[in-house]
Amino acid sequence: MTLETILQVAAGGLLMGLIYALVAAGLSLIFGLMDVVNFAHGELMMLAMYAVFVIWEATGLDPMLQLPLVAALLFGTGVVIYRGMIARALSVQFNRGMVQIFVTFGLAIFIRGAAQFVWGGEFRAVNNTLLSGKSWNLGGVYLPLPQLAASVVCLAAFAGLLLISRTEFGRALEATREDRDAVALIGIDRDKIFAMGWGLGAGAVGIAGVMLAGFYYVGPNVGASFALIAYVTVALGGFGSMFGALVAGLLIGEVEAFTAVILEPSLKQIGVFAVYLAVLMLRPRGLFGKL
Amino acid sequence: MDRRQFIVGATALATVTTARTALAADDVVIGVVYPLTGNGAAVGLDAKAAYEVAADIINGTHAPIGVSMGNGGGLDKLGGAKIKLVFADSQNDPQKARAEAERLITQDKAVAIVGSYTSATGATISQVTERYEVPYMSADNSSPSLHQRGLKWFFRTSPHDEMFTKGMFDFLADIGKKTGRPAKTVALFYEDSIFGTDSSNVQRKLAAASGMQVVADIRYRAASPSLSTEAQKLKAANADVMLPSSYTSDAILILRAMNEIGYKPKALLAQAAGFQESAFMQGAGALAEGGMSRSSFALDADKLRPAIPVVNGLYKAHNNKDMNDNTSREITALLTLADAINRAGSAKPDAIRTALVATDIPGIQTIMPWAGVKFDENGQNTLCNPVIQQVFDGVYKTVWPFDLAARDVVWTVGT
Repeated sequence: MTLETILQVAAGGLLMGLIYALVAAGLSLIFGLMDVVNFAHGELMMLAMYAVFVIWEATGLDPMLQLPLVAALLFGTGVVIYRGMIARALSVQFNRGMVQIFVTFGLAIFIRGAAQFVWGGEFRAVNNTLLSGKSWNLGGVYLPLPQLAASVVCLAAFAGLLLISRTEFGRALEATREDRDAVALIGIDRDKIFAMGWGLGAGAVGIAGVMLAGFYYVGPNVGASFALIAYVTVALGGFGSMFGALVAGLLIGEVEAFTAVILEPSLKQIGVFAVYLAVLMLRPRGLFGKL
Repeated sequence: MDRRQFIVGATALATVTTARTALAADDVVIGVVYPLTGNGAAVGLDAKAAYEVAADIINGTHAPIGVSMGNGGGLDKLGGAKIKLVFADSQNDPQKARAEAERLITQDKAVAIVGSYTSATGATISQVTERYEVPYMSADNSSPSLHQRGLKWFFRTSPHDEMFTKGMFDFLADIGKKTGRPAKTVALFYEDSIFGTDSSNVQRKLAAASGMQVVADIRYRAASPSLSTEAQKLKAANADVMLPSSYTSDAILILRAMNEIGYKPKALLAQAAGFQESAFMQGAGALAEGGMSRSSFALDADKLRPAIPVVNGLYKAHNNKDMNDNTSREITALLTLADAINRAGSAKPDAIRTALVATDIPGIQTIMPWAGVKFDENGQNTLCNPVIQQVFDGVYKTVWPFDLAARDVVWTVGT
């Protein structure tokens, strides 16, 4: 293996890892806030990608320029899902855990079916964007611009999430996470915080979807393979930890890329799950999870 | 309960509650198993349209079309009985395909099954049909291992990957002779299910037999989120010819991944599948240009097969796109099966099987560039020869065999 190959593989793992991290961040946020695993997370990303495709097809607007619009759309979708379904699921008295699982699960299947009904089963792709097909060649190591842009946006989104956590709203979020019953006593509207959490979580995965649509195909099942990795990322980084999601996403991106080189590409997930199992055995709460 | 168990349960529930319509007494029921939802849905929904067109050709009232069963009006030797298709969704899952095939036979009383796109589902369906003793007509499963299991009820109208791959290497030999610039090295790139594995096994064998060196042998996980490492391996090997065996989403992704790292293979010769899909053409765009693929169908062979434009017109009116490698084979499979049922003069599975064994349809009676349809003792059609096509301005044109060619092949190896 030449140095050039090693660097190229490392770059590929890094760029993909940041996407994984941002997909996982939204999942982790929602889980950390209210102990709900959103099984429809990948489907929210898929919706964002279709939104980009539909807008691009109708207007020719570049995916990059659609970022604020689609992120806002997904934020709204997240809030609506919370108000319409999750809040009700949280209010049941018996088997609350199971009800939550089934609600987001059913939502996932519904969104996927609806996407196929509306857009068909065909794979679509956004072509001829500002960046598509362009790469930076750094001494034989190629950095594809669409992925590079996606990475920069992912890092910016993480910075944004960290900034939000420093605001008063962020502290309310943290307080609600710590003790959801006590916050009501000090005048924090728990319901509103939860709704905002869902909005932010969906918005984050929406941003990932927009950037992904710049170089990835779109189809009703596109969310599934990313969602699986996102669940692993969240568990590996520690439930509820933003920083953990970032580190775990990068780690998974690199492990996946190098397993593909060292073993064979069909086995690349083995490396990912081996690291995951090792971490869980030695540190069950994940790398940065709080006890 | 985990996610997977849940999906299984939900699917079972949906299957049970599916309403079934009563049939007229003399309809001949044929079960059709395809992925109608999930990752293979794009192909499966096109297949559904293709079978509906074929059933219309058989059942409908229209001017005679120059294919077997092209006169319309149903099965004349069964008193004008109609072919009735019952579709089932395999979701591209071999176990669901097995269950659906069983349901079609036991509950819908299907006298034959056609299917099923992926070879992994074809393998399980043909086990069910063998057990219940009804014919399985494989329209587009291409793994050679399927007909090598000594099954009595398995029939396949189209070439398998060994025949396809032999055609690909015959083409490579021919083009090498013609241009004086033969391909010396190949890179194998294949997905990790039965289709890719079988395809690569034959390619490895034939490459060795024709003195070509395999400089990359890359087995990848189907539907991976990223293929950038795989692209890097292909670039490092830089073979004369890249031989991919991939379904649609992976086909789009690998072309993009190679382009991102500044690599374009000198020649790309695909084992069809995803590379022959219209979604691939849309998704890959300009990156598909100059790529080659084997095909069992040649839309541009209308001089040789006058029925092609007629049938294509019907298909296009129904599904708003041209026939391709898959849909043409699906239509041919159902027409062949209907021809056998008609000759049998009976809807009894063993009579149909006897008639299938005796099938002898000349090429001119089909929409395929084949010598015809005639099954060997394993149920494999021996008269189907593949063609090689190349993308010019987003459209596949036949370039080999040279006497069928619509365009001269663009061959850049060794330049």
